[in-house]
Amino acid sequence: MHHPSHPFGLVGRWSRNAYNYWKNVSSRQPLVRRVQSALFWLPTMTVFTQVGCTIRAVTGNSMQPTLNPDLSRPRDVAIFNRWSIVIKRRYERGDVVAFRSPQEYGKLLVKRLIALPGDKVVKTLPPYPDTEVIIPDGHGWLEGDAPFNSEDSNHFGPVPLALIDSKLSCVLWPLDRVRAIDFHTTGTQAERVVQRSRT
Amino acid sequence: MTVLRRLRPPIVGALYALNAFCAFHLFLNYVGSIQLVSGPSMLPTMAEEGEAVIENRLSFRLNPGGLNRGDLVTFESPLAPGRFVCKRLLGLPGDIICVDPTGSKAPSSEHVVVPKGHIWLMGDNAVLSRDSRDYGPVPLSLVRGTLWARVYPFNRVTVFRNPTTFLLH
Repeated sequence: MHHPSHPFGLVGRWSRNAYNYWKNVSSRQPLVRRVQSALFWLPTMTVFTQVGCTIRAVTGNSMQPTLNPDLSRPRDVAIFNRWSIVIKRRYERGDVVAFRSPQEYGKLLVKRLIALPGDKVVKTLPPYPDTEVIIPDGHGWLEGDAPFNSEDSNHFGPVPLALIDSKLSCVLWPLDRVRAIDFHTTGTQAERVVQRSRT
Repeated sequence: MTVLRRLRPPIVGALYALNAFCAFHLFLNYVGSIQLVSGPSMLPTMAEEGEAVIENRLSFRLNPGGLNRGDLVTFESPLAPGRFVCKRLLGLPGDIICVDPTGSKAPSSEHVVVPKGHIWLMGDNAVLSRDSRDYGPVPLSLVRGTLWARVYPFNRVTVFRNPTTFLLH
């Protein structure tokens, strides 16, 4: 590199020198070198999945008919968009989101966000003890599209928005299911929410 | 062609720099980092401003069940996504907690059981702290790490030790 004045010059050169050093001391087998070069770029790829997007399979039937409409078929694989949550922090009613379970550490759930802070859910479903809830600051109400068949806010109440991990944008697999996810609340979900008045 | 040839080194250099930056970011994210703390809620353990601490994220990631009562825990605020706060851990799942012994935010006779997968957190300075007394038990999934030591100002360098003592009966 004969242009020391280019942007990020120093760090770029250090990093490149380290890489060249590694290449010199490492194996001459082409396959091993391939793997090593992939490993070298692993940090960039990991950060991309952390702040950009990632691909995951969705299990369970709580989001029927939006996801996994037929359980006898292969599970839906979807693109999970992290950018709009982790970077932009944009939460909208109707989004299908993945969030960390408030009850079980390490478990990720996929549900629809139907109410935001200040909104009132007027008809909760059993087993929730109260019929009406006003969503507190920084929280949201998450429900599965298949009512009564889902581990959602009707079990554990309003969920901190900080637990939301990503937003589903489209289904990738199986091929006949490829489609963008519909961000509209289904059936009675919207009717059961009184939106906060904008002042 | 000449334009391309002149542009290639800077672009390649930027990619390598980006990779190095990402590796550094991952280290801060998974292992630990130095953080500035501010706010009155943890007085007298930590001053209102101008202190830097080392946050340990590795131990919690490797062993989420390893938190103890009395640890200084950092977690994302349930009230404001994207805001990180530090409080002291008071109750683990299953513990019975007196919501507010001072009686200012809840009657001092009110007790709750910390549910499964949650912890009870409170600031050391109860008067000026918004904590589990306001927003209830905090899901373990919001926890990011624990505080290990104070590194700045230099005359107050401390390794935080767990001050909890237990009454045996």
